[in-house]
Amino acid sequence: MKEFEPKIIAMVCNWCTYTAADLAGTSRLMYPANIRIVRLMCTGMIDQKYILKAFLDGADGVFIGGCHPGDCHYINGNLKAVKRISGVRKLLEQFGFDPARLKLQWIGASEGPEFQRHMTEFVSTVKSMGPNPARDCMIL
Amino acid sequence: MHPFAFLKTDGHLSSSVAGFLKKLLTDKIADAVLAAAPTPYSLLPMPTLFTDPEQIEKANPLAPAAPFNTARQAASILKHETGKRIALVLRPCEIRALVELTKLKQCVLENTIIIGVKCLGRMENAVYLEASSQNANLTQAFYDDPVLQDRICSSCAICTRFQPVHADISLSVIGMSANESIGLSAETDVGLAVLKQLGFETCDAPEGRKDAVNRLLEKRESAKTAAFEKTRDKTDSIEKFQRYFADCLNCHNCRVACPVCYCRECVFLTDVFAHDPEVLLRRASKKGMVKLPTDTTMFHMTRMAHMAHACVACGHCSSVCPSHIPVADVFIRVAEEIQNLYAYEPGRDLSEAIPLLVFDEGV
Repeated sequence: MKEFEPKIIAMVCNWCTYTAADLAGTSRLMYPANIRIVRLMCTGMIDQKYILKAFLDGADGVFIGGCHPGDCHYINGNLKAVKRISGVRKLLEQFGFDPARLKLQWIGASEGPEFQRHMTEFVSTVKSMGPNPARDCMIL
Repeated sequence: MHPFAFLKTDGHLSSSVAGFLKKLLTDKIADAVLAAAPTPYSLLPMPTLFTDPEQIEKANPLAPAAPFNTARQAASILKHETGKRIALVLRPCEIRALVELTKLKQCVLENTIIIGVKCLGRMENAVYLEASSQNANLTQAFYDDPVLQDRICSSCAICTRFQPVHADISLSVIGMSANESIGLSAETDVGLAVLKQLGFETCDAPEGRKDAVNRLLEKRESAKTAAFEKTRDKTDSIEKFQRYFADCLNCHNCRVACPVCYCRECVFLTDVFAHDPEVLLRRASKKGMVKLPTDTTMFHMTRMAHMAHACVACGHCSSVCPSHIPVADVFIRVAEEIQNLYAYEPGRDLSEAIPLLVFDEGV
């Protein structure tokens, strides 16, 4: 049987984590191809529904990467994200989603190797959880 | 202990309360009073703004029915300062919603007298109309008869916050015999001043009232635990969640009825969800089919993600559902989880910031 390959949506901020991804790329660091990156200007613009949409459409994991607290290009966008994401995680948990499918990580612009490490780790975590239960049912 | 006064009813509960409100107008303590009253065309009490002391005799704010969470109507009267002093008779859940709307800058709570009702619950509109067709004096009967009290809606039956917070005066029937007298307790200086102006003698609250409140609280707590358990069992997977909401028509009544869903234009009415045919065809081809209208599950989950921190547990989302989905049962349960997470209770304190609007490095 073919090994389960999760699909993971990574929503990362332009200023830190996307730059780190870029650095990982130019440094030729390898990480699993399960990640689909969506670049946003700031994690503070992530509405709860973006995350819900990803999960209802069958994403096996959602990774959100932003600047370290204090480093946000927009002062406190990443702190807004913390609040919202903790709420969404709690919500998903109520309806049978493993809250660990939603991960928030601060990765600074210079942390290419960190980006590689977190992506590798998250892919293996999600792989061990198996497919998102929403994949198998009709979504109304 | 708040200063307490007796309002004699002598077997005429509704008219005594209306008489109390009338005095607010005749004694020029308030310029207008918002209170529920039946219309000439139906017994169902609607939020009504009174300025004429003669008209206010029709008010019946203790009637066990509420077709709306009146916070919305109250907020429209209090949208900005008018220089008029307005008294509002509201249920605890309505006051909580009004406090949330004030925090959201939808209204100003200056120059108001909030009269809260220690609430035994409301009946669904149809139940109320049926019961009042059999009993001309349903309001009085409701407070005397525990059998009638068991006919309240499911959200009220699990409500543990039936005592108003943030009221200036609270009207209490709990632990009193409503056909003799009801209690008025002055919970703020404004409330005490009003009672004094109206010539009430204040005293300590009578013995036994607290016990009655505690007994009711205990009953509600255990009903709530049982109901939450049942709802959890029915919604603890995405498959079950969709079974629960399967008959949803996407009418968005629940959102319209929600007193704290305050956006003028909800995202679900925008182009974000007005999909192009290409999008619908693509979504259909993904699993071979797609149910229309799309995004029903998305709608309910998003509403919880956006508003659960502010849910005041009034239950009106269930009451308005044309498919009779117990929306509130799941909303209230999830809201409690989210509110515990943020250590936030909507309506508890006007100075308590909405959790999603303050940014710190904690949760």
